Amino acid sequence: MSKDKKEMVGYRQQPGKLDFTRPGSGGSSPISEKRGSARIPESQGGELPQPWGPHRHDGLVTGRVIGKRTPLIDSKWKVTGQAVYGDDVRLPGEIIGRLVRTDRHYARVLSIDASEAESLPGVLGIATGEDAPHAFGVLPVTKDEHAMAVEKVRHIGDIVACVAAEDEDTARLAANSIRIEYENLDPIFDIKDGLKDSDNPIHDRGRYHIGESNVQKRVFQKFGRIQSIGDSIASHESSWTFKGVNHGFTEPHAVVAHWDPRGRLTLYTPQQVPHYVHRALADVLEIPMHQINVYRTFVGGGFGGKSDPFPHEMCAAILARKTGRPVRITFDREEVFWTNRGRHPSKISMAIHADDEGRFSGIETDALIDGGGFASFGHVTTYYNGVLHTAPYEIGAFHYTGARVWTNKPASGAMRGHGAVNSRCAVEVGIDDISEKLGVDPIDLRLANLLPPNSATITGFRITSMGMRECLERVRTESGWDEKFRKMPLGKGIGVGCGFFISGSGLPIHWDPNKFPHATVHLKIDMDGGVTIHTGAADIGQGSDTVVAQSVAEVLGLPMDMIRIRSRESDTSPVDLGSYSSRVTFMNANAAVSAAMQIRSELIKAASEITGADEKRIVIGDRRVFSKDDPSIGISYLEALHKAQEDRGALVASGSYRTPPMGKMHKGAAAGLAPAYSFSAYVAEVDVDVETGKIKVEKVWAAHDCGKALNPLSVEGQIIGSCHMGLGQVISEEMRYGRTGNLLNPDLLGYKIPTVHEMPEVVPIIVESNDPEGPFGAKEAGEGPLLPILPAVCNAVYDAIGVRIQELPMTPDKIYRAVESTCRKGGFESPLDLPSPRLDQTPLSKILKERGARHSIRDRERRLKSEPEAYHNGALFGNDPEIPPEELDPDWQVQVLPDEEYLEAPGLAGSAWLHTERRHRGEGA
Amino acid sequence: MRTPAFNIHTPSTLDEAVETARKLADKEMEFDWISGGTDLIPNYKWGINPKSNVISLAAVEEIGGISAFRIGAMARLQDIVESVEVHPLISEAAASVASIMIRRSGTLGGNLCLDTRCFWLNQSETWRRSIDYCHKCDEGTGADCRVIPNQNELCVATYQGDLAPALICLGAVVHLASSTGRREMPLEQFFQEDGITRNVLKNGEIITHVELPESSSSVVGSYQKLRQREAWDFPEGGVAFAVHLDEKGNISGLNMASTGFESIPRSHKDLVDSIDTGAEWGLEAKRLGVELKRTVRPVLNTWFPPSYRKKMASVLAKRAMEEAAKRVTSA
Repeated sequence: MSKDKKEMVGYRQQPGKLDFTRPGSGGSSPISEKRGSARIPESQGGELPQPWGPHRHDGLVTGRVIGKRTPLIDSKWKVTGQAVYGDDVRLPGEIIGRLVRTDRHYARVLSIDASEAESLPGVLGIATGEDAPHAFGVLPVTKDEHAMAVEKVRHIGDIVACVAAEDEDTARLAANSIRIEYENLDPIFDIKDGLKDSDNPIHDRGRYHIGESNVQKRVFQKFGRIQSIGDSIASHESSWTFKGVNHGFTEPHAVVAHWDPRGRLTLYTPQQVPHYVHRALADVLEIPMHQINVYRTFVGGGFGGKSDPFPHEMCAAILARKTGRPVRITFDREEVFWTNRGRHPSKISMAIHADDEGRFSGIETDALIDGGGFASFGHVTTYYNGVLHTAPYEIGAFHYTGARVWTNKPASGAMRGHGAVNSRCAVEVGIDDISEKLGVDPIDLRLANLLPPNSATITGFRITSMGMRECLERVRTESGWDEKFRKMPLGKGIGVGCGFFISGSGLPIHWDPNKFPHATVHLKIDMDGGVTIHTGAADIGQGSDTVVAQSVAEVLGLPMDMIRIRSRESDTSPVDLGSYSSRVTFMNANAAVSAAMQIRSELIKAASEITGADEKRIVIGDRRVFSKDDPSIGISYLEALHKAQEDRGALVASGSYRTPPMGKMHKGAAAGLAPAYSFSAYVAEVDVDVETGKIKVEKVWAAHDCGKALNPLSVEGQIIGSCHMGLGQVISEEMRYGRTGNLLNPDLLGYKIPTVHEMPEVVPIIVESNDPEGPFGAKEAGEGPLLPILPAVCNAVYDAIGVRIQELPMTPDKIYRAVESTCRKGGFESPLDLPSPRLDQTPLSKILKERGARHSIRDRERRLKSEPEAYHNGALFGNDPEIPPEELDPDWQVQVLPDEEYLEAPGLAGSAWLHTERRHRGEGA
Repeated sequence: MRTPAFNIHTPSTLDEAVETARKLADKEMEFDWISGGTDLIPNYKWGINPKSNVISLAAVEEIGGISAFRIGAMARLQDIVESVEVHPLISEAAASVASIMIRRSGTLGGNLCLDTRCFWLNQSETWRRSIDYCHKCDEGTGADCRVIPNQNELCVATYQGDLAPALICLGAVVHLASSTGRREMPLEQFFQEDGITRNVLKNGEIITHVELPESSSSVVGSYQKLRQREAWDFPEGGVAFAVHLDEKGNISGLNMASTGFESIPRSHKDLVDSIDTGAEWGLEAKRLGVELKRTVRPVLNTWFPPSYRKKMASVLAKRAMEEAAKRVTSA
């Protein structure tokens, strides 16, 4: 094998053609050799440099796979067409289910006549809302969905009934012949109308209902010294409109339900979160959870769009129970759009203030988000639109009002970058504008206002590792920023944007049973030496199977082909909370490491018994267990294993991970809490055609701090994929509704996902800040990388043509309209005569550069200290860094309810607080 | 999505094809022609006017073929793109169609006969039921137009074929055949205002080929297309501009045609006739753009708003004329 091939861990040609691992051989050599020191960390006497200090997992590093470019272990199934996705499942006796979807925006269901459908030959079963009266939903606090409409339909495409038939044609015919009588209700489509009282609110929350409105959730938060905003010398104010976007995953939803002869249900579904479906099925079907096996098929892309328990999953199970046959339901693309759960259409007002020292004295955000017909993850999204932009900058005050309303449109939900993307775009564009008003370089401004590592944000989030500064410095250098920014001709522009995202949410959605771990991993090793990993982590294409396998392979010093993953079935996998909130690498790999550590100590103990060497001096290398001091004292992996297995057989181990307690105590304090946070900074270069308004993003330099790239290949893939997805939202993607409230583009021709022609060259830059709690130092890389691309492109467009658009997507017509209006105002006859913006640096520039340099030294010191002193947001404004500012200064008190003064002139979303909950009006049952 | 069932007829000669059509017509059976199927089959899947009989032209060799002055109706778009004989203006327009996979299937005849498109039409059956259907596919309801309501006369669905303007500019003549005989006409006369009627084809009649005058070999032109993405998307507006040169290389005539703005592609010969070829070309191009902007009448039924498409008509015309001029100079 060539050296290159050795580097590609996990890569194997066809069986028999290449040398497979010999488990007992002791690796490439029959006697132990010293481990290759290049991958052994400095802290362990190796040569791997650790500029960010040592890590608690350093002692587990065997130099096998962590940090190597590793192709995903399931990729061969995919490229050879052997991967079984939802619609590929075929069971004996299977029949086809079809959902009956309403053609009404909003209506009461008066009657359903299925007699014609029932009489069709080949129709085997029909179900309606009456068959499943129990509500479900992804969040326990907002269970507002049913398998099929109970009483009302809430948007076009909402499910009223379902049918099962021998074949698809019959199922479709039957679905079309079900007659439904409705009483139409007045629909609402405009997000603002959701704030008003209504005769027929889309849902009824009982005594918790907010006024008689369609407000589903409202948030009010004030942190810091709002009064200091008055001292600001520059302010940015903007009012954004973000259109809703859909995940656009390749595989439409598909499900197969099968009740086995013993009466247990197996549900085959491409799910990101099999565990929540498991719970919802038990509720809806009224059977105990142990009678259900949720089988996660290969997932053809999720991005948040397959993380709710879905009505069609319930329908398949109900039809299968009724007919006694396995039932398969596969969506048309249009149904994917009707199910949606994409990013919320939003109206966001953003105000950012800066004082005479170039500090951010305050951020005021008001976000009204359009939830569509159901709650989904919306409760969390409403918080995330605020709290996830309280870092990476140190800020003097933060005031957030958010509200989510129901409208008669497909439900919005969680999508890659959940809740953080839109407001992050507004903040980063705001900072660009502020820097222009201050006459400083926007990167200088950012570098002089970053929170240090091991600090707390204004909302009390615990920041541990922090690579924001390195991200900014890297993109600045590599993009040639200083030679380009505000210096290029009309139409050419460059812009910067940053991001900050959670690496796993600190609190699980379901916290029962008490203190249940977020992730658990089981290992089983029998006499053959191969390791079977049981995990419930859902591989949705992001590579979670691979990263868990890598973690185990690394600790046990084994090649990847000795590791096999069983992550599909709830019957065999320990409960995992699913692939959302960028939690899997962090939590699951931590659980895997902890399980592998148990096996490791058993192997070491066995080796010690055989060789007589001191356990503490024994290490694991390439399929050998041997003394660190004298490698010739050692045994092969298989010998150690067989010794450990004496009188007991297969070794088993269970490892788990639960987040430590953290955060503040105010209402909503848990939203946005995470055991670690990722940071990123992108620079985008664009070419804008001023005559047509078309944007071409030419190149993106994308730096992301993922703590430690366990698999750099995968991290780069996530960065590039995120750029593509985020780019869609900036330049062309939107769920467009017509004047009648109909979704005009529920198909992939009308829904404009960028093609290869629109895709820029992306230069992925990995920054490794070595997170103390992450597995081997790792943090997330799946969602955070999406955030910066939006503002980076927006800011680059401004640099190119001097026009700021506060509406996404920035389709050419919108850019052109803004160009026209700028021409009109400036008296330019042709867009080609427009001046392009220039930067005249003010004296503040120097102050910022100096502060940035000082902070750079500060940050380096803090990250290397094993126990750095506390640093609370507010220190930059003269507070004692070691004491939470609200404990010293009443002005910094947290406020979570609006006062009279605010309600006299509330923001748009803030006006949701003008309503009084029914219970406070003495109404509601 | 399921394609509704239909009977497929596979004639192998032109005579057989038109005869099959006549027989079906005699029995009052509805049918469609199918060549590449890249437009028809998606429409069928969406339940937009599917017919129970489909006559495939795939085996009718005599209406295929590509040469400098004759392109068969069954010529695949990608073959036109790659042909060294075809006029570059036609190749340029063909290369802008959809994606390479669609071009490998789609044909010249299919592109010319492309069904008109509209946000209120190109949707699933359930979707269209939710708006009580529309004029173009009313499912027997007598539904009104959803773009311009309360007229119930004209269908304003948009024609979005890319090849027509290029061919019109080059003076193409389209040849038609049916069981009652053959006829031919300049391509611009082939199209007939109305999103439902679309063209002059009678029931049972097909395009056999397009013929180009020999003089077209001395034409230099440019096709400019407006769309959101550089692949797949239909033109939100397209303008072809052609400069006819005499033997000495002097300009002997100009032509311009557009697509994607209305229910049919249009020739704008009248507008280019006013161009002073002796005047400054850039200024004339700008003036021509303004003229075209005044002429086209887009409606709100495609991706971009009509006001923008109108304004872009002027940019497209200007750029087409300037680009053509550049090519004349370099030719």
